Amino acid sequence: MSERFRLGVDIGGTFTDAVLLSEATGATRIAKVPSTPSDPSRGFLDAVERILAEGNVAPDAISYLVHGTTVATNSLIEGKTPRTAFITTEGFRDMLEIGRQVRPTLYDVHFEKPRPLVPRNLCFEVKERLDASGEVLESLDENRVHEIARILAEQDVVSVAVCLLHGYLNPIHERRIGELLRTHHQELVISLSSEVCPEFREYFRASTTIINACVRPVLARYLDDIESRLRGRGMTAELLIMQSSGGVLTFETGAEKPAYMVESGPAAGVIVANYIAGELGYTNAISFDMGGTTAKVGLILDGQPKVTKEYEVGAQANPGVGQARASGYPIRTPVIDLVEIGAGGGSIAWVDSGGILRVGPQSAGADPGPICYGQGGEEPAITDANLVLGRLDPAYFLGGEMGLSVDAARDGIARRCAEPMKLDAVACANGIVEIANAAMTNALRVMTVQRGIDPRDLVMVAFGGAGPLHAGRLCEEMNIGLLMVPPSPGTASALGLLVTDLKHEFSRTRIMGEGEEDLDEINRVFASMEAEGRAVLQREGLGDESIRFVRQVEMRYAGQSHELAVDFTAGEATADTLASLRERFHTEHDRSYGHGYPDEPTELVNFRLSALGNIRKPKLREIAVHSGPASAAQKGTRQVYFDAAGGFVETPVYDRSRLRAGHRFDGPAIVEEMDSTTLVLPDYMVEVDRYANLLISPPG
Amino acid sequence: MPTSPNDASNDPGRSVDPILFEVIRNALVEVTEEMSVSLQRTAFSTNVKTRLDYSCAFVDAEGRMVAQAFCQPAHLVTIGRLVPRAVNEFGAANLEPGDMLIVNDPHRQASHLNDIFLIAPFFHGGELVGYLSNICHHVDVGGGAPASIGAFRETYQEGIILPVVKIVARGAIDTGLWKMILANVRAKKEVAGDLRAQISAINLGLRRLAAVLDRYGLDTVRFYIQELLDYTEKRTRAELAKLPHGTFEAEGWMDDDGMSDQPVHLKARITLDGRRALFDFEGTDPQRWAPMNSNMTQTFTACVYVLKCLIDPDVPINEGFYQPIEVSAPEGSVVNARHPGAIVGGWEVSVRVCEVLFKAFSQAMPDKVPAGTKGMICHVGFGGEDPRTGDYYTFLETLAGGYGGRIRSDGPDAVQTHIQNTQNAPIEETELNYPVRVVRYSLIPDSEGPGRFRGGLGLCREYLFPDHEPIFTTLADRARFAPWGLFNGGDGRPARYLSITDGAVESISSKGTAPVANGALVRVETCGGGGYGPAWERDPERVLNDVIEEKVSAERACEVYGVVIDTSGGSIDIAATNERRHALRTEANPP
Repeated sequence: MSERFRLGVDIGGTFTDAVLLSEATGATRIAKVPSTPSDPSRGFLDAVERILAEGNVAPDAISYLVHGTTVATNSLIEGKTPRTAFITTEGFRDMLEIGRQVRPTLYDVHFEKPRPLVPRNLCFEVKERLDASGEVLESLDENRVHEIARILAEQDVVSVAVCLLHGYLNPIHERRIGELLRTHHQELVISLSSEVCPEFREYFRASTTIINACVRPVLARYLDDIESRLRGRGMTAELLIMQSSGGVLTFETGAEKPAYMVESGPAAGVIVANYIAGELGYTNAISFDMGGTTAKVGLILDGQPKVTKEYEVGAQANPGVGQARASGYPIRTPVIDLVEIGAGGGSIAWVDSGGILRVGPQSAGADPGPICYGQGGEEPAITDANLVLGRLDPAYFLGGEMGLSVDAARDGIARRCAEPMKLDAVACANGIVEIANAAMTNALRVMTVQRGIDPRDLVMVAFGGAGPLHAGRLCEEMNIGLLMVPPSPGTASALGLLVTDLKHEFSRTRIMGEGEEDLDEINRVFASMEAEGRAVLQREGLGDESIRFVRQVEMRYAGQSHELAVDFTAGEATADTLASLRERFHTEHDRSYGHGYPDEPTELVNFRLSALGNIRKPKLREIAVHSGPASAAQKGTRQVYFDAAGGFVETPVYDRSRLRAGHRFDGPAIVEEMDSTTLVLPDYMVEVDRYANLLISPPG
Repeated sequence: MPTSPNDASNDPGRSVDPILFEVIRNALVEVTEEMSVSLQRTAFSTNVKTRLDYSCAFVDAEGRMVAQAFCQPAHLVTIGRLVPRAVNEFGAANLEPGDMLIVNDPHRQASHLNDIFLIAPFFHGGELVGYLSNICHHVDVGGGAPASIGAFRETYQEGIILPVVKIVARGAIDTGLWKMILANVRAKKEVAGDLRAQISAINLGLRRLAAVLDRYGLDTVRFYIQELLDYTEKRTRAELAKLPHGTFEAEGWMDDDGMSDQPVHLKARITLDGRRALFDFEGTDPQRWAPMNSNMTQTFTACVYVLKCLIDPDVPINEGFYQPIEVSAPEGSVVNARHPGAIVGGWEVSVRVCEVLFKAFSQAMPDKVPAGTKGMICHVGFGGEDPRTGDYYTFLETLAGGYGGRIRSDGPDAVQTHIQNTQNAPIEETELNYPVRVVRYSLIPDSEGPGRFRGGLGLCREYLFPDHEPIFTTLADRARFAPWGLFNGGDGRPARYLSITDGAVESISSKGTAPVANGALVRVETCGGGGYGPAWERDPERVLNDVIEEKVSAERACEVYGVVIDTSGGSIDIAATNERRHALRTEANPP
C-alpha cells in the first residue's frame, strides 16, 4: 500500500493552517493561507489544495482529515444565525432576556447586557409544569403547541430550542413538543434541552440548548458543503471535527451536536502540548500559547487536558479572574479550560495618567502591527521591545521574509513610554517585556495555584509565534523545572488536530445526598450513557476493542452550589465504590480550595461519561542523533539584553534547523527558526531530544 | 497605629521602579482574587455562592485598604472603613498570628447585621504587616423575621450583634462563641458553612501573601504600597480636575420608612473644586425609629461609587482613591444613624443616595449619568418549617429592575443597579432546596419610563407556597416614588407588592413581614427605569421593534411615543405618526 497521510485544517481569524502528517514517518508539512471569513470553506479548500500540491500527495492518500473551526462561534457572535425560536414553560418566556439579572461591569453606566440570541417575539410559553422531582404537576397543553407550530411556519423559523423547567429530570413534555412540531414541519431543526444538556439550572441549560439550535443549521450546511467538495476532489478520508473539549467527532455526529463544537479551534493547542509532553513521559503540564494578540494558558493533569463547564461564548476577556462575568452566552458543555489574556506580540505599551507603564490589552494586530514592521504603526508593542532588547533578529523575522526596523522601535518606545517616565529606551523595553511577563505569570497562577496545583510539579510546553520568547522567564518565576519547545512552534497547535481520539460526552443530573444514593439508578444512568456512547462509536466504525469509557461524578458538600468533577470507578457501582468516590472528593476539595470537610455529608449531582474511540496515534518524526558539539549549529552571536545580567550580553545564536538530537548548550542563547525565536536565559541548559524538541532546564 | 522604626517606606532616597510597582500591585490584588474564588466555591448559602454578596481585601498595618477583589460595589469602602476602627478598638497589640476577629455591628461602622466581617492580622518575620479581611452577607442573623430583613425600631431587634471579638485564636475556633452565634440564627447550616468558607479563604490569603512578602521583601512591599496609594490619590485628583467644577444639588424621596407612611427625604449638595469632592447631606430627614437608616459606611459607599462611575475606570480602588472624598452628614439623620437605630434598610438608603447623586450631576454631565434606575435593593425573604424535612429553612433573594436610559442608549431591562450586582438564584435549584414554587419570572411590558432612550423594563416574580405557611418579608421600596425620567423623559412604572389568595389580590407593604396562607401566592413587580429625553423624539424604528418584541404595546407606542403602528403589517404609519408627535410636542411645550 502506498504511503498514507493525515491532514489537519485549522481555521483561525487571520490564517487557515493545514498540517500534513505522514503516518509512516511522522514527517509533517505545513501550509498557511489567508482565511476567508465570508465563506470559510473556500480558505479550507485553498489550504487543502495547496498542501496536497506542495507535498505531491494524492487526495485518496489521506486516511483521516480533522478540522478545527470557530465557524459556529463566529456565526453566533456576528449574529449570522438562521431564525431560531425558543419554547419554555409558561411564566418563563424571559429567561434569556433576564439572564442572571446582572451587569457585566460594575462601574460603567453605559454597560449593555448581551443581546439575547432569540428575540422576545420568538420566545414562546406553553402551559405545563413539572416539580423539582420531575413529577408532572400540570400536563402539556398540546393545543398551544400546535398554535406555536403555526406561528413558527409564518415566521419562517428554521430551528427551535425547547427547554422546560425541570426538563432535565423528565423529558416527557419536551419530547412531546418535539413530536408535535415535527408533525407540522419535517424540516424544522429541533434541539431539546433534555438531549443537548440534561443538567439542572434552567438558564444555563436553556442557553446551551439555544446555542445548539442557533448554530446547528449553520454548521450542518458548512460541513455538508466541505464534505461534498472534498468528495468531488476524490478525497475518501474519514472526515472528523474537533470538539471544544478535545477529542473528535465525525462530521455527521458533529453536525447534530454543535454545542460541543463552539471552541473547536483553540482546543488543539492544549492537545498538542499534552501529546508532546506525554511522548516524553510527562503527564502534568502547562500549555503556553502566545501569538499576536493574546496568550493562552491551559492545564494538563494525569495526561488529560483540564476542561471546564463554566464557559461563556463571546465573553469579553477577563484578565486575572477565573470567572465568567455575564458578558457572553453561557454554555454548559465541556470546553478545554483556557485562561486567555490580552498579551501577544502586538500588545501595545502605554503610560497611564499616573505615569505608570502598562501593557495591553489593546493590540496593534497584524495591520498596522508593531512600529518595527514599518507599516504605519506608531504605538510600541511587545515585539518592538523584544527587538530593542536584541531578542529578535531584524533581518530574520519570519525567516527573513520581513525586515524589521530597530531604530524605529527604539524611537517609538523612547517617545511614547521612556521619556514620559524618564527612563532610557532599553530599560523601558525591558519593562514592557517584564510587565507582559508578570501578567502572564498571573494567568499561570490563576490556572495552577488558584486551582490548588503546585506549578513546580509541572513541565511547560511553549508554542505560538511569541511563546518561546517569553516562556523562559515564566518558568523561572513559577519555578517550573522543564520547558519544552517543539519544532515549528508557530504552527504546532495545528498538529493537535491529528493526535486525538474520537470522543462523545454525556451527562445526567441526579441529585443524591450521602446515604441516600440509589445504586440501581446510578448503574442505570451509566449503563444508558455507555450504551448511547457505544452505539454512536460503532456507527462511526469502531470495534469494541477500540472503545473505552471514562466516568466522572460532579459532586459537592450538601448545601454548596459549585461541584467538583471526581473520577468514578468503572463497572458495577457499589457501596465500596461510592465510599472511595467520597474519599477522592474530600481530597480533591482540599487540593482545590485548601480545605476538605471529611465529616460533612456530600451530594452527587451530575453523572458524566466520556465515550472514547481510540485512533492510532501517529509517531512523531525523529531526527538524526549527533554526538558532536552544538556549535556546529551556531550561526553567530549578537548582543542580547538580560535583566539579571544588568545589560547586553554577547549571546550565541543557533539555527534550529541545524540542531540535532543530543546537542547540548548553555544559556544565554537564542535559537532561531522560520516561525519563532526561543530565548534561553543565562545559566539555563538546553538539550535537543530525538523529536527535535528543545528541553530547557534551570541550572543545578 | 505604630509603624516600624526601620520602615523603608519613608526612605526619601529610594526611587520607584515603575515595573516592580506594577508587578507588586498585581500580585497583591491577585491574593485577594484568590481568596474570592475560594470563598465563592466553598460557601453554602445562595447569598455567597450564587448572589456573590461578599468581597475580600488586604489592608495595611496603618489600616489603609491596599487591594480588594470586588463582587459587589457595595463593598467599595466597607472593609477599608471597618478594619482600622475594629483593630483600634480591639488593640493591634492583642492580636497574634492565627487570630481572627469577627464583627457585624453597624454602630461600629460595619454595615447591616447580615454582613459579617472577618479580620485576620498578617505577620511577616514577627512584624505586623497588615490585615486580610472579608465580608459576607449571611442569609440569617436572627432577629424578628426570617432572613433578618424585618422592619423594626432598634438594631437590637434585627439580630445578633457581634462587637469586635476573637472568633479564632491562634488557629483554633472559639467553640463557645461559635455555638453562641449559631444558637441565634435560623439557617444554621448555611451560616456555619459560610463562616467556615470565610475562615478558609483568609487562611489561603495569608499563605499567598506570605509568598509575596518572601519574594519581594517587607521593605520593598511597604515602599510600593505607599507608592500605590500615592499614585492612586494622584490619579484620582487628576480625574477630579477634569470634571466640571461647581456645586451640584438634588433631592429625592423614598416611599416610607417601614414603620410609618412618612416619605423619607434625601438631600445632597456636592462641591467639586478640582481637588476634592465634598458631599454634604444637610437637609436630609432625621433618622427614623424604623429600618430605613444608613450608617456613614453605607453613605460613604454611595458617594465613592458614583464618583468611581464618573472618572476613568482604570483608576484603582484603595485608600488613595478615598482620600480626596469628604462626606458630611448630620449625625442622627437617615444617612448617619445614631445608636441604637435600626440599620437593616441601610443599603436601601445607600442605593437611593446614588440615584440622588447621579441626578445632581445630570445637568453638568448629561453624558455620564443614567435616568432613574431601579434604585432599591429589593430584598425578598421567607422562612419557616420545611414540610419535607421538618427543618427550619430561610431563603433570601434580591430582585432586579429597569435601568435608566442613557444619552446614547436605552436602559437595560431587568438588571441590578449601582452598588448592587447580585445574581438571581436558578429556579430549579431553589425549588429543589426550598418548599416554594416560582410560577412566574418575566419582564413587565409597558413598565419602562418612556424616552428618546427608554428605561429598562421591570420584572415580575411570583412565589407560590403549595404546602405550608411561611413567614414572608419584603424590604424594598419604589411603590410610590418611581425612577425619574431625565431631560423630559418619563418616569418608570412604580413597583407593586401583591398577595393573591384564592384570586383575591391584595397590596402588601414594601417593607413588612407577614405569614402567607397555604396555597397563596406572593407577586413582586419591580419598577421600570426612567426614560432619557422626550419620548416623541425616540427613533420610530426602535419603538416598532419594542412593539414587535412585545415589550411595549401598540397602544402605548401611539399614546406615549406618538408612533402609530399598523399592527397588521407591523409597519409605521408615517403620516399618522407625524401628526401624533406634533400633538405630543405641542402639549408638552404650549406655544
